[in-house]
Formats: sequence, structure tokens, C-alpha cells
Amino acid sequence: MTEPIKLDHRAAVRTHLEGGELQAAQQSARLLLQEQPSLINFRFLRQLITALPSGGLGLKPYKVALVSSFSIEFIHDSLIAYGFVNGLRIEIYQPGFGMVNQEMLDSNSGLYAFVPDVTVLAIEGEDWLPDVYTHFMDADTAGASFEAVVKGFRQQLAALVTTFRATSSSPLLVHNLALPRQRRAGIAGLRLPRSQAQLVTDLNRSLLEMAANTVDVHTVDYAALVGYFGVQQWYDARMRLYAKAPIANSMLGNLSLEYMRYFRALSGLTKKCLVVDLDNTLWGGVIGEDGIDGIQLGPNYPGSAFVEFQRAVLDLYRRGVILAIASKNNPADVDAVFQNHRFMLLRKEHFAQTQIHWEPKSESLKRIAKGLSIGLDHMVFVDDNPAECAQVRRELPMVTVIHLPSRPELYAETLYAEGLFDTLSLSDEDRRRGQLYQQRAQAETMLAASGNLEDYYRDLAMELTIAKVDQSSLARATQLTQKTNQFNLTTIRYSEAEMAERMADANWLAITVGVRDRFGDNGIVGVMLAHAASDSLNIDTFLLSCRVIGRTVESAMLAHLCDAALARGIKKLSGRLVPTEKNVPVRDLFDKHGFSKLTEDATGTTTWELDLTHGPVPCPAWFKTVA
Amino acid sequence: MSKNIEQTVKDLMSIVLNIDATKIDDSTAMDNTPGWDSGNQINLVLALEEEFSISFEVSEFELMVSFFDIVQVVSAKI
Repeated sequence: MTEPIKLDHRAAVRTHLEGGELQAAQQSARLLLQEQPSLINFRFLRQLITALPSGGLGLKPYKVALVSSFSIEFIHDSLIAYGFVNGLRIEIYQPGFGMVNQEMLDSNSGLYAFVPDVTVLAIEGEDWLPDVYTHFMDADTAGASFEAVVKGFRQQLAALVTTFRATSSSPLLVHNLALPRQRRAGIAGLRLPRSQAQLVTDLNRSLLEMAANTVDVHTVDYAALVGYFGVQQWYDARMRLYAKAPIANSMLGNLSLEYMRYFRALSGLTKKCLVVDLDNTLWGGVIGEDGIDGIQLGPNYPGSAFVEFQRAVLDLYRRGVILAIASKNNPADVDAVFQNHRFMLLRKEHFAQTQIHWEPKSESLKRIAKGLSIGLDHMVFVDDNPAECAQVRRELPMVTVIHLPSRPELYAETLYAEGLFDTLSLSDEDRRRGQLYQQRAQAETMLAASGNLEDYYRDLAMELTIAKVDQSSLARATQLTQKTNQFNLTTIRYSEAEMAERMADANWLAITVGVRDRFGDNGIVGVMLAHAASDSLNIDTFLLSCRVIGRTVESAMLAHLCDAALARGIKKLSGRLVPTEKNVPVRDLFDKHGFSKLTEDATGTTTWELDLTHGPVPCPAWFKTVA
Repeated sequence: MSKNIEQTVKDLMSIVLNIDATKIDDSTAMDNTPGWDSGNQINLVLALEEEFSISFEVSEFELMVSFFDIVQVVSAKI
């Protein structure tokens, strides 16, 4: 029966939306769905979201095309609801089931006319490959090779994906194949020369290869999802047979959450920083009260659960997530644990920022965000204490707050449940990011110690690698356009396919900028895209990762563009500045470098130009450039 | 104080079908309610299952095509 708790959250979402308080509404929606991810709650939220005015309170419009071999329309409510929680206003295009080929192979189909921001191809194994699933036992002989079946699958998949990519630049998410629900040959199945399991493995490998060889095609690990929840829970035979909707109602939200991992990554909404509490979070008990021998951390329960949680946090560090601490404690007590406790997996060096004092956690979070030059909306805060969680939610509604459950053995899975930190790929830069923050801290100490800025720049011994975007740097260059908000002139987001187009176009310059200094190699941290017209080289994209702001790298980048323009006989450099909430650091770029402002429109967007015959930008003397 | 079955069903139908709960009565039925199509019929069934922690047979799906019918079928299961 309906309980007051659920009504409070629903009412809160409605009230916040009516008051135009988007982030507070998102918080309440998040809490509502965490407590009860039910059809009613998904539908309730969907109705509210659909009724929002066209501005949508600042939600990012996101067009999702769903192409499926089964009736996937029952997922719409949870997709729109979770989209809202994640800052997306999702609009769905979905043809009737069984129209996969018609929609994808016909360039005049509704799918292409929709111009989706992302396309999902959701096919159940038994719909696409009955010979492997339901008709497996019909094969002529026990030793049947299924060659034709595997070949046919590869060809069909290739045709769909190739035609899709030739017609649309939308990213494509393709489900892989889950194992058959029924082992058709019983326990003898494994012994067959070609078992169902083996066939599915081979087919999935083909699918992965296809995805790897086509730009912006990503595999959704549907098999892992079904495996995680279990076939018994995941499927509803009743609905499959009655409505051609095989996925159980209670599982549809989980599929939506899986899609959210991709949508976030594709939209630059992936979280970047995890801020953890310490007591009853990284260890059991309270260090200030229990002492180093009294806290629980080690091979026995519950200490073993906290070790597992530390491992889960450390793994995020290795994936390029920035870690920070926000704890109400005496710093000396905390240092003792990090230095002396033999079962601490996490070390002080893993944390880019620590805020250990008695002030409110919201203050800690604000200082951490400032110290890291990261938006609060890219931060996740984890605490066992419901009061602390509530305080942060109230003060900083843009922060994602995870309240840990009462049982520590559930901490790790709670942290990972939504995949808030999932990225589409893991680069070497991601793996090194934690160390780079340590290096940055060292560089900043050096700045504080050095006499003047020029000495500081010289002492950094910076080496710039300026190169054309190529196959090996395509993913990283694209990622930077999607993630960089602060030092970004125009904040144009590129997909890999679009970046590849620029890369191949002779009238475009597509350039990556790498920075190495005496503390280490930052890798590729800047991107420039410029279009060569007859009279001017027009800057479309100019961005720099916040890690290397304040070192005049941007001057060297502009100097390179000036040289490139003159080399083509072009006498002017022009560009546009589109002001956003986040790009204050880049606002004076053109002015500082001698550009003249040409126009300004009602939105504050300005256009600028520089006459190269009179004043190209010189490259600062303290850089060594590797071209 | 928990609500009675009728009110719970009305609130549920109101959300699923996007209609005013106070206007639902015994005559409210699939054939006279805009938006109450076969897709939403399934959504109603699934929502009722979640709300009341019960499970319907497929044969019962198509019996529940009015507010009155829904209350009858649900009451018999609780």
C-alpha cells in the first residue's frame, strides 16, 4: 500500500519543478527511484517531465532511437525518468518491433529522419538466431558446424552497421547476445562440438570486432546484465508470449540504468571525482574514539568488507577517477591510520585533495571542487551518515550523494550500481590521472616558492607536442571536446565520426596539443579545430584541459595557428567566443592576444579577428616544441 | 492509516492513465477512457502487481478493463 515516504518524494519533485528548481527536483527523483524503482514512479516522473515547457528547465534535449526485435516500449518510462535524473530530456523514436532491417537499411526511414543523438539496437538472441536458441536441436546432425549460421550473422550485422554508419553519424549501441535461457541439450550440451554457449561466445566476438572496426559503435554487454540479475529474474515468460515483451517489468529499470552509463559518457556527464568519508566508510568504527587498534579493517568480518570497499575505490582511481576525502576528524588521527594500519589499501597519495576538519561537509566539497577546478556537478559524495548526506543534498543539490547502506558488505556494489564513473574507453591518460594530480600539486608548490611567473614557466621545462589528429589520437581528441568545459572557446561537442571528418578534410586543421613538464607527461591536453577560408583561418574549437591552465600554453597554441595560416597564405585569424556558465577562464583569450572584437550578439557571443601581417601571436620563449 | 483498495486503484490508474483520480468511478472503462489502450492495459496490470504484491494470470489481464472489474479481480486475490 502507498506509504507517506513515497508521497513525500513525489510531491517534492512536483513542487521543485513548479518552482523551477531543477537540481532539487533531480535529487528528489533520484531518492524516489532509489527507494522504489516501480512502474508507478517511473510513469509519475515521465508525466511530469513530458509536461515541462520547451526550455525544459535547462535539461539537455537528447534524442534516443530504439530499434528492437521485441516490444521495447515498456522501457520508455524508466528511460525518461532516469534521463531526467541525469540531466537529459529524452525524446524517443521507436518503430514497431521486427522492423530492424526496414528502419536501418532504408536511408529514407523514420529512424534517419529523426536524427537521433544516439541509437540503440536491442536484439534478443532468439529473435535473430533461432538456430542457436529455440531451434538448436533441429540441426541435422549432432556434429553440425553451424558455419552458415555464424557467417550469416556476420554478414547481417555488417550490412546493418555499415549502412547505418554511412547514413548517420549518431553513436550506435548494440546489444550483444545473452546465453540461451534453456540448455536445449541438457548437460550433454557442453560436449557437443558446437555447443550453444560456444556459438554465443563466437558470435559475440564477431560483434565486438565489428564494433571495434566502426567509428562510434559500442557494444552493450547485455549478456553480463542478464547474467548479473539472473535469467529467472530478468525474463517474464508471460509477457514474452503475450506481448512479445520478454524483459520482466522489474528489470526494465536496470536496462535503462545500463543505457544511462553510455548516454552520460557520450554527453560529457560522466562523474569525475569521488569524495569519501572515512569513519564507517573506509573502515568500520570511528578512529577518534576506537583508536587504530579498535577500527575494523582486515581479514575478518566486518573489516574484510571495508577492505573490499577500499579495493572498489582504488579501482576507480586506476580508471582515472579523482579521489578526495571529506572527513570530520583530527588530521593526526587520520594520518596515523594511513601510515601505520597494515590493512589500509588506499594511501594518502591516492587522494588529490583532503579536507579533514570539523566544518560542514558541503564546505569541504566546495573547497575540493575549487582546488581541482572541477564542477560540483561532476562530483560524487559517499557517506554512511544520513545526516551528512542530507546536509550536502540540501546545500549542494548538484552533487550526486550516495548514502551507504547499513551493511558494509553491500558498500562496493552500491558504489558501482549506477556506473556513474563509466567512460567509453580507458586510455593511458586515464590510468595516469591520479599521479598527474600529485604532480600538479608539486608544480603548485614550486610556483609558490618561485620568484616570478616567468621563472616558474621556465622551471617547468615544458615541452609541447603539436600534431595533427590521427587514428591513434582520435578517441582522446574527441573525449576532450566532450569533457572540457572551462577553457573552451565554443564548447562544441564532437563525436568520433565527426572528428574523423575534420581529420580527413583538407580545408580543416585538426590539431592535438600534448604537454610534458619536469614532473611528468600530461599527454594530450589541448585540441584546436580551424577552417581555412580564402581570407581567414577560422577557429571552430580551441580548448585546453584545466590541468594545464595558467601556463601560457594557449599562447603557444595561438602562435601555431598563426604560423599555419601564414603558411597557407592566409592573412587573418578569426574566431568566436561563446560564453557559458563554466568558461570564464577563456573569456579574455582573444583580447589578451591582440585580437579585435568585430561583433557581439544578444546571447553575448562575440566574434574576433587578428590581422597577421601586423601582429601574429609570438610563441613564448620558455616552450620547447616538438612538432 | 492505509488506504482502501478502491482509493489505491484510483490513485494508480490516475498516474498510469494520466487522468483525474476524483473522476474515476465504476463506469470508467477502457472503451470510454482516452489513453487506456492495450499498451496501458499492460502497464496497469504490471503496476497493480507491484502495488499489491500479487500476480495475475494472462487470462485475467483482459478481464480488468474497467475500474469496477479491476477492484473485483484485485480484491479476490488479496
